[in-house]
Amino acid sequence: MAGSPASLLDELTLGRAVELESLVDRGALREMAESTRQLFGASIRIYSQAGNLLADASSRPALYALLDQHESGRAALVAVISAVKSLDPEPEHQADFSCVTGARYLVAPISYDGHALGRLILGPYRLPDTQPSEKLRELAPGLDRQAVQGAWDDLPALTDQQAHRVVRHLSGALDLILFSGHKALLTSNMHLASVQESYRELADKNAKLQHAFDRLKELDRLKSNFLGTVSHELRTPLTSIIGYSEMLREGIAGELTAEQKEFVQTIHEKGEQLLELIKGLLDLSKLESGTMSLRKSEIDVVPVVTDVAQTLAPAARKKGVEIAVRSEPGLPTVWADAERLRQVFLNLSENALKFTPAGGRVALTVAASMIERRADDEGRGLVLFSTKRPAVEIRVIDTGIGVPDTEKEKVFDAFYQVDGSATREHEGTGLGLSIVRRLVEAHDGTVRVEDNSPMGAVFVVTIPCRRTTIA
Amino acid sequence: MQLDFAARELTIKLVYYGPALSGKTTNLHALHQAADQAIVGRLMTLETRDDRTLFFDLLPFTFRDKGGLSVRLKVFTVPGQVIHASTRRLVLQGADGIAFIADSQVAETENNATAFVDLKENLKTYGLTLKQIPLIIQFNKRDLPAVRSDEEIASLAAQGREPVYLAVATRGEGVVESFIGLLYLTWNALDAEHDLNRKFGFDQAAFLESVAKRLGHERPLADVLSACVGGALEVLRPEAE
Repeated sequence: MAGSPASLLDELTLGRAVELESLVDRGALREMAESTRQLFGASIRIYSQAGNLLADASSRPALYALLDQHESGRAALVAVISAVKSLDPEPEHQADFSCVTGARYLVAPISYDGHALGRLILGPYRLPDTQPSEKLRELAPGLDRQAVQGAWDDLPALTDQQAHRVVRHLSGALDLILFSGHKALLTSNMHLASVQESYRELADKNAKLQHAFDRLKELDRLKSNFLGTVSHELRTPLTSIIGYSEMLREGIAGELTAEQKEFVQTIHEKGEQLLELIKGLLDLSKLESGTMSLRKSEIDVVPVVTDVAQTLAPAARKKGVEIAVRSEPGLPTVWADAERLRQVFLNLSENALKFTPAGGRVALTVAASMIERRADDEGRGLVLFSTKRPAVEIRVIDTGIGVPDTEKEKVFDAFYQVDGSATREHEGTGLGLSIVRRLVEAHDGTVRVEDNSPMGAVFVVTIPCRRTTIA
Repeated sequence: MQLDFAARELTIKLVYYGPALSGKTTNLHALHQAADQAIVGRLMTLETRDDRTLFFDLLPFTFRDKGGLSVRLKVFTVPGQVIHASTRRLVLQGADGIAFIADSQVAETENNATAFVDLKENLKTYGLTLKQIPLIIQFNKRDLPAVRSDEEIASLAAQGREPVYLAVATRGEGVVESFIGLLYLTWNALDAEHDLNRKFGFDQAAFLESVAKRLGHERPLADVLSACVGGALEVLRPEAE
């Protein structure tokens, strides 16, 4: 794939993609050239293969300034400079060049991994104990002999050996810099490529997980449908069983003996239990599949709670448990389905009653409250809303066995029983609380369980009001 | 492989693969030490602070044939540690030949096998199978105690297809032989596919012999190649289909 990090890596390690410009920092290169110039006196220029001047540590020699004053001298200088620039020595070789003035240049290739990347030019310099070229006078006859001599003496003096050594040293240092630069370039590209490759791998895995998740969701939906269908199909014959056993019990088909009556009574009771379980399953599957329709309206919670307490009062009395409702005046209404809320409170209160021993107490309290707005829709626009919303909080408080901390979340799972042992003391389908939670959530509310001091549990249901902001 | 016709330059990529700490980098160090300075470049290692390979090591060789063809070999290692899976895959891309460096210690047998399966899987992502790529296997660390015996390796190697070498990379033993074996297989495969010998008037045997010589093995090529146990230095031909 062209342009991918992997192919870039190939170019960087296998091909000719490396350029002097991308391996070295120009500023640092200039500093290096400058420090070498200060050490040996001779000017240094570094060109890239493309002919760009990357570093220039040079000063214009006085000799050239003199020549520049004459037209023929100027032309000769231009020729010298272009000749020097066009020198292209073989890798590992250096090229000497003698200028028309007698000054000298040394040109060395900059190569890396066998490929030419640019050139290094040292000069002009003069050999020690030499005089300016005689040609100089021909070029510019009017030149002051003394001035020329002075300018000539100003040129840095290097033996050929010294010049070659300077260039070799500089090439060696450059080679090291190029190697380090190449290494850094490779490292950064490798980093990038590795991250991209890891990202690609993760994206692949994510897609697979998403696919598996979608499939599981679909299976879950199928399960709920199945539950719904089966529950419905079970209910029809069960209704007949209950109806006929009721008729038998009432003697419609003739008087029964006491024993027969007892048997029929058991059939009837168990049938009713089974029906409750099936209804629960049906509710759960409807809630899970999102097909339960709620008939919401503005309702007052207190009458609903009071009705629940009244419904349970006979059973509580029989068990020796006190049941009471407390509410504060002036409560706001909530936007809810009264029948479903009744189901919620009835379930919680029945539970409370079930787990509270004789002499205990079940209390239902209703109070105004606030509900935290959850950061839905990815938390967007949250700042525009009040994070709190008015709500009504209903607490179902008992003095029963309580719910251990580790179970506080799990009790809302379907079919979960705190006491999971086969010989458990308290009967139940384990569906009640999961239905409660789903019903409450269908009202945008929350339900949680807390401890009651010194013993027992408190189920706290919070149902929001319809108004989205505090009036 | 990259071929620059204009510059008459051929670049071949060889990859040293294998489990963590099996001696891939040590092989490269030994090659670097053995090589004539005129043909070898600097060994570049991209490593972590504790000397474990992070991305790869790279050892470049350049050979100039009398015919004017310049052959550049880029020898890479992959990072062996399991966590560097994506880097291994990146480095493996475009490899012309693979040396699998195995750890001879009996306790490492499982890791060798795991790394080999990893190699197979990674090749698969590039649409390659082990049958299609030149491969040699080197059993390194022969000097350690509790290693798999020579007999065991020889008998297993005799049943396998790829040539197997025994080595002590820390002492440079078997390193050049493995390398020449890999280069031989790789060149054959590339020649079968691209007809290199004929196109460039290239004398393969002389080339390999000169490479061995510049790596300090001045012996006839057949002698160097015979260092392997089992397998076959067979020429890979591109599959007909």
